[in-house]
This record gives sequence, structure tokens and C-alpha cells, in this order.
Amino acid sequence: MRCNRLLVRAALLLPITLLPASPPQSNTKLVHKTKYSMGTVYEIAAYDQSPAHAERAIEEAFAEIARLDEVLSNYKPESELSQLNRNAHFHRVRVSPDLYRVIEESLKYSRLSEGKFDITVAPLVDLWKAALRGERGPSEADQQEARACAGYEKIELIPPDTIEFHSPCMRIDVGSIGKGYAVDRAVEILRRNGINSALVDAGQSSIYGVGAPPGKPAWEVHLRDPSKRVDPTVMLRDNSVSTSEQTPASLLGNENAGHIIDPDNGKPLESKYALSIIAKTATASDALSTTLLLVGPEKGKEIVKQIAEAAAIWVSRDGETQRVTTGPEIRLAGELQKEQGELKTVRDGESVRSSREKQ
Amino acid sequence: MRMLRRVGIVVLVMAASAAGLPAKIYIQWTQSSMPAPRVLGVSNLVIPWSDEAQSLLANAKKQGYRVYWEATLAQSQAVAEASANSGVAGLMLQGSTAEETQLEEAASKLRVKYPKLKIMVLSGAGKQPEMRGWLVFQRDGILQVSSPTSQPWLDQNLSMVRYERAFERGQAPLYSFSWDVSDPLIKENGPNPGSYALAVAEAGAFHADLVLQLHEAQQKGLATGDPQTLEDWARVRRTISFYERGDGEKEAAAVAVLADDYDTCYEEINLMARHNIPFQVFESAEVKGQDLAGFSVVIAFAALGSELTKQIQAFAQQGGTAVLTNLPGNYPWDSDSGGKKTDHAVTYTVGKGRVIELGEQVSDPETFAQDIRRLMVKQQVPVSLWNSLTTLVAEYPGNKPGEASVELVNYDEEPTDVQVQVRGNFVSARYENPERGCCQELKLSHVDGFTDFVVPNVVSGGRVHLSTAGNQKPEARPTRSGE
Repeated sequence: MRCNRLLVRAALLLPITLLPASPPQSNTKLVHKTKYSMGTVYEIAAYDQSPAHAERAIEEAFAEIARLDEVLSNYKPESELSQLNRNAHFHRVRVSPDLYRVIEESLKYSRLSEGKFDITVAPLVDLWKAALRGERGPSEADQQEARACAGYEKIELIPPDTIEFHSPCMRIDVGSIGKGYAVDRAVEILRRNGINSALVDAGQSSIYGVGAPPGKPAWEVHLRDPSKRVDPTVMLRDNSVSTSEQTPASLLGNENAGHIIDPDNGKPLESKYALSIIAKTATASDALSTTLLLVGPEKGKEIVKQIAEAAAIWVSRDGETQRVTTGPEIRLAGELQKEQGELKTVRDGESVRSSREKQ
Repeated sequence: MRMLRRVGIVVLVMAASAAGLPAKIYIQWTQSSMPAPRVLGVSNLVIPWSDEAQSLLANAKKQGYRVYWEATLAQSQAVAEASANSGVAGLMLQGSTAEETQLEEAASKLRVKYPKLKIMVLSGAGKQPEMRGWLVFQRDGILQVSSPTSQPWLDQNLSMVRYERAFERGQAPLYSFSWDVSDPLIKENGPNPGSYALAVAEAGAFHADLVLQLHEAQQKGLATGDPQTLEDWARVRRTISFYERGDGEKEAAAVAVLADDYDTCYEEINLMARHNIPFQVFESAEVKGQDLAGFSVVIAFAALGSELTKQIQAFAQQGGTAVLTNLPGNYPWDSDSGGKKTDHAVTYTVGKGRVIELGEQVSDPETFAQDIRRLMVKQQVPVSLWNSLTTLVAEYPGNKPGEASVELVNYDEEPTDVQVQVRGNFVSARYENPERGCCQELKLSHVDGFTDFVVPNVVSGGRVHLSTAGNQKPEARPTRSGE
């Protein structure tokens, strides 16, 4: 038997480039821990003079993520969200500050995207998830029925802590924002414990950089590049990046599905892009990543321009890139120098202007 | 394919295994002193060949252990000669994966020359079972790559075990692995009991034999009777004891994989195992007439000769789905119709079924595995898990009709509840595990010919006994501990 697992694993993690050498300060130690929650692996890597202290802080942060899973889970029947989904059609329901904040934030992005970001598409998502598992694709009638249940405007928030659904069959799923919210709460706990250098990662899709690693200006993160050509990177320092991409197309030609549903037509989104967005909080980047993938580059750039200290990049499978920023810089491979007011990007060998220069 | 398919009765395929008996755990020992077998919980020790091997052997035999020597290819002849009259139980030949063919040849020759000596080949392809994160630590920093949300990455040995089962003749899949000691604490103190328990549970659940490497600190702690080490080891010992028993001999499968070379299919079957796709590997030259009957999908990674082409065609004509991966050729179905072309594949309708020719190497094993999952006919899938992304499963139909068992392995360090769906209408499900013993009755529900239940609080692993005949105590299981 012969195999080369390391190469295979490395291939799955592409793009890989070595980080510039810069030895960490000798008085800090790296502590890295993982925790399974919300259907993925959370990871925290923290530098601190006391590994035991860092370990305790990380465990406290993980405990907070686990607590939030009990609040936000769409799978656990006794989660606070599941209880809300069962009862809010019938009467107003008082909820915890966390659930209220997540839904309040979600509605903000729903309005910002004119409904493209919508946490009420859970019935549609469930239909298409079944198709992803190999069950038959949903019928038009099934889709129509599920679409009738959806609509963010049917959620009523009654401050400070009460929610009511104005639809008899609405269910909400905060999967497109909940992990980001959990990352932000974990970051709060790390900071409260005096951890000033850490990377918090929710299954690769939402990553927050607390401070910077020792001896470096920021956390360097490579962004998803389906073309494997442009290798976009960003330096995180007290901000977050999130990435969204539709489920890859089938290799064997069987019917495609997808986990990101377009609320406009109730069907899986068709997009050639992977989208990464940098924002000040992981809640924002998580919600915006889905939003910007759904609306595409043209409208997406307009949305990003309304947000301070944000940047986004759309990368297609053939290496086309589109970028926009109101602060953070996303760099591509080979982009050694930045000309004032202009970033150069390569598309099929042709030099094109990025969105930034249009601002 | 059998006529039974035509009348809608699905035959669960019993994966032919060289040895379907429960796992046998060997402990690799390197320290001069050792505890009694009852402390360790095993009676089989593996001692790497060295200058001290003879004295270790004497010591171990005095304690009552059955001892196997572990030798490299270069050492094999000399160690076999030394073994002949030394009272060792056997010899394990180990080497790199590249040496495996030579190891097999050497083992065959030695078996002829020393018929009383048990000669085994120890696979070097094992890996430490664990749930991993995605951060990659490098000497000068951390590499992080953003992506859409990823499922937990499980380093598991199930795919390797299934592959070995097809190719290793005369012995159960036997493997070992080295612990990752990059963490300074683990380097000093050794893996934690949970890691050892997971390794044992994995081998046990998948009916493979494992040479468990025991860290020096734990060897010394056990040999000297250190209370903390003994307390920690008690969990591992319970797990070893639990997996000395097991139900069924042949794992149920819905997908047949035809392969000749691990390299050509490694990552595909790795992802299929990780996604709980029940498959059986066949060496392509060994596929016989009815071997493919009852499978839902056949995947060919190996070139098809004329005989195998006929079998694939017959399989598809009876309603099956065959997938050919990057195997260009002139096949009989090519001329039947133009085929339906997509970006990567052409699908030919063949009788009641189809043949899908993927015209390139698998570029994305994850998507490929998801595709195979979608291609399986639901009624032919023996077992599925829901919302249990850290757990792998294997189902073993019982020796009596109406009985089956389900083995679960949880790769997360924390216990998890596992939602299981098993094909068949069972009326009793009794759960046992190393921590709480036997048995907890599980609540069942039935949907469309499947039985659903939730297994609570799976730590490293556990076993569910299913029966269509109501509550039955698990019978005494076969054991290999007394070999």
C-alpha cells in the first residue's frame, strides 16, 4: 500500500505559501485548542506568557460558544431558537439577549440587502438539504409552500426582548450569522482575560484576529481561491474575515443542489464566485459573506461602500477577481506594489482595474 | 444481479472479510520492566527487535505474556531464525508503505520456512485517529486559509482497514501508527487516556487488529504502579475489554469499490469513509460473477478487462449505477446511445441502470464522495447518521436473521448524541458501551422500512444490538483474546 497523505492534505488546504520568517517573542507561548460545536470545529490559537492562563481563557471562550449553541441551534429541539420557532407563530415570545441580538442584527442585513439575506428561508433550506443528501429534489409545489412561509418582514421585534412571527409556518435559521456571533463573544472573553494575541476560527468560514502574533504586524490569512491562481491574502488585526461559496457542482452530473438559497426564487444560488469579506466584527462579516455572495459583485460593492473598515473580494473559478474596500487591503499573489488609488488584478492574463479605483 | 431486485426486495450485501472477528489489541512495549497482563488488560505484547529484545522477551514470558517480535524487512530473516526456538508467538514485519509488496513476499517465504511461527505484516499506513482543526502550524507562524464552513476533519483508519481487508489474505487488517507528540505536554507525558481509548475503539468497531504504541511515560507509570497512570489506564483497559467482544463478521455495504492501487483511490475512499458511505473494496482481478449483486453503486478505479466490463454491464442492466473514474476505453455501452454529457462526465443508460464515465481524475474528493452518496439508492443504504459529524458508523448483520449490530466511533473528545437510521424494522435496540456496560434500551421509531433511534452520550465508541424479535440479551460473543 502506498500513499502520501501529507501531500493530499496539503492539496486540500491550498493555497499554501509560507509566512515570512519572524521568530516569535521568546516570552510568549502558543496555546492551540479545538472544540466541536455548531456542526464545525472552532479553533483558538493564543499567545500568552502563561500557557495555563491562555488555556483557561480558551476553555472559557469555548464554554461560551457551547452555551450559544444551546441558544442558536436549529438542530437541537430544546434550543431557545427551536422553542421560538415552535411558539412565536402563536404568541409573543420573550427571548434571551443573545437570541434577540442575533435576530436584530440579521434583520439589519436583510434590510441592507433588500431581502437577499434572510434568516426565514429555513423551510427552503431544509428542502434543498434533503436534495443534497440524495433525496429527490423538491417539487415546485413544495417550494411554493415553503416560500410562502418565508419573509424577514414577518418577524416583529418588540424591544427589549420579545419576538413574534406573523406567519403561521415561519421558521428561522441563524446559521448564516450565528457562528460569527459566537466568534465575537469568544473574542470578548479572551480580551476580558487579558489575551491580546489570538486567532479565533469557526470552521474556516469566520476568522477573527485579536491583536497580532508576536513579532508580526497582523495575522496573515489566505482567502478562498477556487481558481488556485490569485491567492488573495489579508492581514487581520482586530477584525474578521468570512468566506462564502455555494456547494461545489457535482462531478458526476447528478442534479445539483446547494446550501445557499436565493430568497428571490427559492432555489439554490448559482454563483461562480467565492466571496470573502473583512469587517470589524465576525457577526458582520459572517452575515455579509452570505449577503454579498447572493447579491453578486455589482450590488455587493455598493453595500460594502456603506460600511466602515470593510473590504470584499469575489474570486471566480477562472481567476477573475473583483474587489472593493473602505479600509482593509486584500492583496493578490504577485501584487508586490500598490500604486496610489489603484490595485492591479489579473484576469486571464489581462490587467484590469479593480473596484477600488472607482471609489 | 439477483432477481430479488426485480421484485423490489433489496439484498444487503455482506462485505466479505478475511477475518470479521472482533479486534485484537497488541501493546508495543520497549521498557525493561513491565506490569502483569491483568494490569495492562492485554496478553499480547509486541517487542521491536533490538539488542534488548531477548531480555525483554524473557521478562515478558515470565509475566505470562504472549510475545511477538516486530522486525524490519532487513531484519526479517535473522529475527525469524532467532524466533524459531525462542518461544515467541510470532513475528510482525513492518516497514514503509512503499515496502509493503516486499514485506508480503518476505512474509510468504518465511511462512513456508517457519510454519509454526505466526508471520504477520504490520501496515504502516495507519494514522492517529482524531478530530482535527484546520490551522496549520509552521515553524515561523500559523497558516490559515478561509473557506466556506468546513465539517470537522476526521483522521480515521476506516478506509485503510476496508482496503486492507480486500488485499491482505490470511490475516485481519493489522496496523499501527505513531502518536503526534508535537505538543510539548504530550511529548513529555504521552497521549491522554481518551486518545488511547479512541484508537482502541476505532480498531474494535471496524474489526481490525491494532498494535498500540504506548508512550514511555505510561509504560514506566504502569510498570511502577503509579496511581495516576493506573487510574488513567483503567479507561483504556475497559475499552480494550469491551472490544474483545463484537457482533457479526461481515460489514454491510452499499457501494463496491474496484481498485488495484491504493494511490489511485486513497483520497476518494478516505472521504467516502469519512462521510459514512458503506463500501467494500474488491481487488479488480478477484471480482467474481455474483460479487457485485446487491450493491447500489460500483466505482471502478482500476482498468476494466473484458470480463469485468461484462460484469459492470450486467450490473447496470439490472438497475445499478456504475462509475468509471478516468478509465477511457471502448466500452459496449458507448455505442448504445450518445450518452448525456456534463462538464466532467458522460452518463450512459444501460438497461435499467446507468454507467457514468468520469473523464478525468477526481479533482475534488469531497464533492465526489457527496456525489456517490446521492447516487446510492436510499433503500439499499444499510445505515446512516444524522447531525453527527464527528462519528463514524459500521453495521454488521447478525449471524441470525433479524439481528444486527451497529458500531459507533466518536472522534470528538467530548461525548455526543448520535441519530442513527438503520435499514429494517427492528423492535429492539440495546446500547452498550465501555463506560456503562450493557445495556440501555433505546426508543425506536419506524419510517419507510427504516428504524430510527438516538444513541445518547457516545464517548469514544459504543455498540447497539438490534433485533426484530424484541428484547434479547446479547449473547456471548466470539473473542480473540484467548488466542
